[in-house]
Amino acid sequence: MFYSVVLLSIFGILNLFLGFLKSRAWLLPVTLLFLATALVVTLTDWNKSLFFWNYMMSTDNVSVAFATIIIVSAMLILPLSRFYFPNAAAPVPEYYAILLFSVVGAILMVTYENIIMLFLGLETLSIAMYILAGSDKRNPRSHEAALKYFLMGAFATGILLFGVAMLYGATGTFNLSGLAQYVRTTLVNGASPMLYLGLTLVLIGILFKLSVAPFHFWTPDVYDGTPTLFTAFMATVVKTAGFAALYKILSVSFTGIYSVWWITLAATSVLTLLIGNITAVYQQSFKRMLAYSSISHAGYLLIAVTAMGQTSQSSILFYSLAYTLATITSFAVLILVNENRAGESFSAFNGLARHNPFLAFALTVAMCSLAGIPLTGGFFGKFYIFINALEKGLLFLLVVAVLMSAVGIYYYFRVVIAMYMRGSDDNAVADRIIVPKSYAAVLAITTFLTILLGVAPDLLVRYF
Amino acid sequence: MEEIPGVIRTIPLNYYIFLSTALFVIGIVGVMVRRNALIIFMSIELMLNAVNLLLTAFSSYRSDPAGQVFVFFIMAVAAAEVTVGLAIIVMIYRNTRSVDVGILNRLKW
Amino acid sequence: MQSGELSAFGTILLFIIGGILFFGVAMLTARLLRPHRPNAEKLSSYECGEEVAGSAWGPFNVRYYIVALVFILFDVELAFLFPWAVVFGDHKLDVASGGLWSWYALAEMFIFVAILALGLSYAWVKGHLDWVRPQTRPSDWQSKVPAQLYDRVNEKYKSSR
Repeated sequence: MFYSVVLLSIFGILNLFLGFLKSRAWLLPVTLLFLATALVVTLTDWNKSLFFWNYMMSTDNVSVAFATIIIVSAMLILPLSRFYFPNAAAPVPEYYAILLFSVVGAILMVTYENIIMLFLGLETLSIAMYILAGSDKRNPRSHEAALKYFLMGAFATGILLFGVAMLYGATGTFNLSGLAQYVRTTLVNGASPMLYLGLTLVLIGILFKLSVAPFHFWTPDVYDGTPTLFTAFMATVVKTAGFAALYKILSVSFTGIYSVWWITLAATSVLTLLIGNITAVYQQSFKRMLAYSSISHAGYLLIAVTAMGQTSQSSILFYSLAYTLATITSFAVLILVNENRAGESFSAFNGLARHNPFLAFALTVAMCSLAGIPLTGGFFGKFYIFINALEKGLLFLLVVAVLMSAVGIYYYFRVVIAMYMRGSDDNAVADRIIVPKSYAAVLAITTFLTILLGVAPDLLVRYF
Repeated sequence: MEEIPGVIRTIPLNYYIFLSTALFVIGIVGVMVRRNALIIFMSIELMLNAVNLLLTAFSSYRSDPAGQVFVFFIMAVAAAEVTVGLAIIVMIYRNTRSVDVGILNRLKW
Repeated sequence: MQSGELSAFGTILLFIIGGILFFGVAMLTARLLRPHRPNAEKLSSYECGEEVAGSAWGPFNVRYYIVALVFILFDVELAFLFPWAVVFGDHKLDVASGGLWSWYALAEMFIFVAILALGLSYAWVKGHLDWVRPQTRPSDWQSKVPAQLYDRVNEKYKSSR
């Protein structure tokens, strides 16, 4: 992991300078090669448990797995950029470099052992995302998304940092195990109120970035305004890394005061599930629906964090993988439909199945996975999380989650119905969408993996 | 000349906590109340600097350099954030001739 | 000790109060003594006696922002040199590592500065550091008045100069 962080940073800088070459043709293959190198280097850390950089970061199998998900999702999203920038003057090498840097940030977030590293990783990821959110310089919606994301993100950073300062004041350390030690001893001596205040503020800061419900209001606007390619990145990599980070800080440092924070997380996850799912029902735009769906999935993941059992970590891992694959598929199809039929609403998908059976099939699998229908990865993701909740006795959470997945089926299937049952409104949009090879490859991989996870979840789960 | 941590320690720790909490709350109120993107941004910087002050005070009182190291990282990251944030605000100003966040409500739910 | 510290801060407080008083009394006295007859000329801002040309809130060249942003980044990153400088000259570490410490620390700092320099060179090659002047093209406008006419006029009034 040490080498993959260093390598990816160097590759990012290299990518900036590759932009000075005349030819853009092999920019994408080279960037993919960079990511593949980082992936291989990351995987060599499998079954090793190390600390490096003077206890700043640590590697174990779970963090390797999370880093793998992050790098793989970056590798799946990058090929979608092939025809995404029609403007020849678009600074594509810079976008790739920023994406590589944000992957570095995400890896720091899943391997940190010290809050300094968590902060650096979170900010590297966030600042990269602010830039990408505003990358469509001609589009006022993109400006608005960038400004909102930036102001909200920086605000959340401020809150998080104040919490960290409070934790430091109470404990005198930024190290996760040092914090854990303090928490253990305070159970005997009585804790400083600064510890609880600090923990609350840190949780608010992280939940803000993860768009969990009372702090979700920026999400739909930002997801909607950001160029779709980067929304896909935002919805997958940021969520995965953020939940890995949240789980790590709570499970390593604060299990000693579980009774203090679990009720807060349980309440926010109920609120997130309700708001995310019910508002998603009323959306007319597919992209906004996906934004609300990402909020609701944050709610499901939060259940696993709240349950905090033996298998919670592996269920978060499985769920984020299934969610990532399905989300990438949806955004890939959305990019194609939006470019060819000029629309992000549900009606733009009308009759897609007749002209593009492959696209329709891939999107259907993705929707089933997001809704949690059996034989797709999403089903087992939800299944494991519900089992966690059951083991911990969180019956109330379980009931809400099951009810809300039923609501989810309604809005996820609206697009499926549009594709299969509705004809196109007029002949003008009846044209077949020509699917570029890179898109076809990405869609084939994500769909295959989604079904594979749904048929044989043991392939992944037995490792954890 | 005295050591700087010693100088910092001549004022009781609680005062630092009150001062930086006050600064932090002023920052939060500024973010919530003001409508000018630049002033919201300044309020956020105020929040970050409240944190820096608090970390420095704690660090001196505990004779532990880690807090001050964190302050350096916060300053560096804040500079990167300023750069990106100002670039975004300038981009918006060039298009709309305004930095009022109120006019930015094209996206609604 | 305690009282000494308090008096030290008390001096500062007195200084602040004195400053405010001095300023306030001066302004108040001026206010009481001076006549109050404003007109447009007096209210305009003073530009060395020239007539005021436009508002002070005029648009800046966008280049200022880019140079300023690049400056902020490099300026603040260099703050990392201060903690480095503290440990760089640490004699104990140097002795403990057999003289290797200084070389190690120096190499680390050169790597850090090199990465910053890479960023700067990127901005340079991209042309963000060039101050693009507005290009003054020679006008191709042809005057109907022949040039000799001007020469003759100049010649005529040469003597009177």
